[in-house]
Amino acid sequence: MKTIIEPFRIKCVEPIRMTTRPEREAILAAAGRNLFDVAADDVLIDLLTDSGTGAMSAEQWAGMMRGDESYAGGRSFVRFQAAVRDLTGLPHVLPTHQGRAAERILFSLVGGPGKLVPNNTHFDTTRANVEFTGAAARDFPINEGRLPALIHPFKGNMDVEALVAAIEAQGPANVPLVMLTITNNSAGGQPVSLANIRAVKAALAPYGIPLFLDACRFAENAWLIKQREPGQADRPVRDIAREMFSYADGCTMSAKKDGLAHIGGFLALRDDALAERARQLLILTEGFPTYGGLAGRDLEAIAQGLVEVLDEDYLRYRMRSVAYLGEALTHAGVPIMQPPGGHAIYVDAAAMLPHIPPAQYPGQALVCALYLEAGIRSVEVGSVMFGRPRPDGTEEPAAMELVRLAIPRRVYTQSHVDYLAEALVAVHARRETLTGLRMTNAPPFLRHFTARFEPLSPAAVSAGV
Amino acid sequence: MTTPRKRSWAEPYRIKMVEPIRRTTQPERERAIREAGWNTFLLRADDVYIDLLTDSGTSAMSDRQWAGMMVGDEAYAGSRSFYKLEAAVQSYYGYRHVIPTHQGRGAEHILAKIAIEAGDVVPGNMYFTTTRFHQEAAGARFVDVIVDEAHDPTDLSPFKGDIDIGKLERVIDAFGPARIPYVNYQATVNMAGGQPVSMANARAVNALCRRYGIKLMLDATRAIENAWFIQQHEAGYADRSIAAILHELCHFTDGCTMSGKKDLLVNIGGFLALNDDTLAARAREVVVAYEGMPTYGGLAGRDMEAMAIGVVEAVDEDHMAARIGQVHYLGDALRRAGVPIVEPVGGHAVYLDARRFLPHVQQDRFPAQALAAALYLDSGVRAMERGIVSAGRDPATGEHVRPALELVRLTIPRRVYTQAHMDVVAESVIEVFEHRDEIMGLELTYEPPSLRFFQARFAPLPPVRETVAAAETSTGE
Repeated sequence: MKTIIEPFRIKCVEPIRMTTRPEREAILAAAGRNLFDVAADDVLIDLLTDSGTGAMSAEQWAGMMRGDESYAGGRSFVRFQAAVRDLTGLPHVLPTHQGRAAERILFSLVGGPGKLVPNNTHFDTTRANVEFTGAAARDFPINEGRLPALIHPFKGNMDVEALVAAIEAQGPANVPLVMLTITNNSAGGQPVSLANIRAVKAALAPYGIPLFLDACRFAENAWLIKQREPGQADRPVRDIAREMFSYADGCTMSAKKDGLAHIGGFLALRDDALAERARQLLILTEGFPTYGGLAGRDLEAIAQGLVEVLDEDYLRYRMRSVAYLGEALTHAGVPIMQPPGGHAIYVDAAAMLPHIPPAQYPGQALVCALYLEAGIRSVEVGSVMFGRPRPDGTEEPAAMELVRLAIPRRVYTQSHVDYLAEALVAVHARRETLTGLRMTNAPPFLRHFTARFEPLSPAAVSAGV
Repeated sequence: MTTPRKRSWAEPYRIKMVEPIRRTTQPERERAIREAGWNTFLLRADDVYIDLLTDSGTSAMSDRQWAGMMVGDEAYAGSRSFYKLEAAVQSYYGYRHVIPTHQGRGAEHILAKIAIEAGDVVPGNMYFTTTRFHQEAAGARFVDVIVDEAHDPTDLSPFKGDIDIGKLERVIDAFGPARIPYVNYQATVNMAGGQPVSMANARAVNALCRRYGIKLMLDATRAIENAWFIQQHEAGYADRSIAAILHELCHFTDGCTMSGKKDLLVNIGGFLALNDDTLAARAREVVVAYEGMPTYGGLAGRDMEAMAIGVVEAVDEDHMAARIGQVHYLGDALRRAGVPIVEPVGGHAVYLDARRFLPHVQQDRFPAQALAAALYLDSGVRAMERGIVSAGRDPATGEHVRPALELVRLTIPRRVYTQAHMDVVAESVIEVFEHRDEIMGLELTYEPPSLRFFQARFAPLPPVRETVAAAETSTGE
């Protein structure tokens, strides 16, 4: 049997709504051409994020009913703690309401002015939490990671030489930790190899700098190691995941991705003293250490999710369905980040729309066109998200102009994916008619959530799509 | 003349789903409390028989709320469950802007971040642990302006949560209105024994704040329970609905922080509500960094859905009569047996007065903490200390803050326990009361730097009763 099917059947469905083209034009204009501001009911297929949007299993829903809502010492926490320890080998497990809270606690303890936090590529909330403390957040991806069309198995890898040079320049005492984001979300969901994790760990050893994982998509990364790294093909994916964590001194996790949950995250640590300080902070802003701002039922759902996500049939189906979309687009000539990563397809908007310069946000233009075409919601990962104001008022563009089609876990079928591919191919066929955008307000932090846009020419909405 | 026959009330619901609980043996409880360092927070829930640690997030949801859990929209942006919550809060509380947070302390954190500057002063009707922490962390100092009656557990005034208008005026005079970003107004007042504020007081505080241009921020966590007390005890409100009273109370304020885990009958969730457009815009910027997108604020969509339904269920008259009726049922049983409690009994808990319960244990030996541990040892009932341990240390001197009230809180989760459970609790408290001379007090063995009550550890003091107890009683503590 060559066809890979879903290793589950559907137990509960949720209706979605078709909209008309005139409806979508009005909705998009009212939202200031920022898809974050569109009501979810006005979206047909929602690829905004794979975070917290997955479908839970019957076992997870059963766990939701079993959840112990005791304020202190609940049995759901005991189960959750055991699941995280078993996976990561890290002794201290602090639940948080989601991943960014774990980042905030970690970086408010180790960050601060004069500090440098290196990462293969920071995700947006991670960068915000590092910079909020006054520390510098710098990215050290390998060069291959910046070339969308290049095929390389581990484009999420860190450039170890550049990392070491930066540590030397900054002084090791000012580098509180080094973080690897697995998979590398902002660089196309690209995996990091075991060899690279080991190399980073070895490079840090002489300095005594701890290695942390941003582990949101650890299972997808482990699966891609199994598929792509020499000598790993026959290992159970759970073993690979455990080896990845064995090099880490701590991790932050948003369980809304590979925890297969709708809410929740955790901070796991090896260091006793750091863990004690983190618990104090946890109580103040999240909740008591045995619930961390989560309902007991959510701790149950995560504990079960961490088991299910390492099921090889699930991972094979998950990665295959993302690759299937990537193949359909590649076949039609749509430029995408190659090879497809774990959780999303990233369309290369700079290559697709060379007539729109970065300052006019080609990615955002494509996001709007795709919504108008078919009611599909995607997200820009380019100069809107990562552009930086220069002193002269112009903008330093992002390294890449990407549009992310994030695939929620276990939610959409192959028919949804076919519909989506057709819509994108149709937009691609008339790509020359798309025009750029102007940002009409730019909030200081995380502007992509709340920024608003105007088309650059009044005729752009009707002519541009 | 015939005496009217006694008419009982009953819960306005039947039970649809149950969760087993476990009785423990005396040796099991001795081991468990020792492992927990005599701190009931550190007990495992499975070792607890009846859990009265808190009413926060421990309530039973209705079948409608569970159905809402299934309907919840988990979209990252623009979830329809958010719009439902927003509409419910706007309609019942009356505020314009609604920003969901993962729980109440998330809302307190954001309010402190956007409103307070270093050197500010925040007056309020008695401190609450996490609230005061966020005010202090943002650089402000908390000043208590509650009425004096609140500090007397035997005073029977109906509205012991009120702000003393004279005290508030003196604080404004002393520091100047520019140094006061807002007045923090709790309804009901948790650390005073769940005591309500009156509508007359809300009106007067509002007038004073208006005069000086100071914002009035409601801690609305148990405002619906507060509305019930106004309906029962304040002249002119007997015929008004709880919903109408809630709306009137809120309209005297400029916004609220809310833990939905209390009144709103959910296991997780809260919100910050504001009328001011500029402040709301800043709150939305900050919420993204700490909680989540402003249309989910760190909550699953289903939890917003459940909270929206909870708003409607919470203002139901029969629900609130049964809710507070159960708390008073326990209070009456203890009072009849001569157990010293805070009176009048408040909305969410019965508070044992540990000073009068254990007059031979001086406050430095943590009488309320010792009493909570003794109650657990007797029956597996878990209560919470609300006394010198919770009050913490003065940041300037490093000395214990010595609150007038040294209390053990028996907090009743909503819709969870039956009258039979309450009977077991009352019998256990009475048993401990009869053997109160055997409780000697505790010493601290581990003390965290902030909010120490959550994680502190203790050891029991040896029974040197004949000397120590006599000496301490004679000090008149």
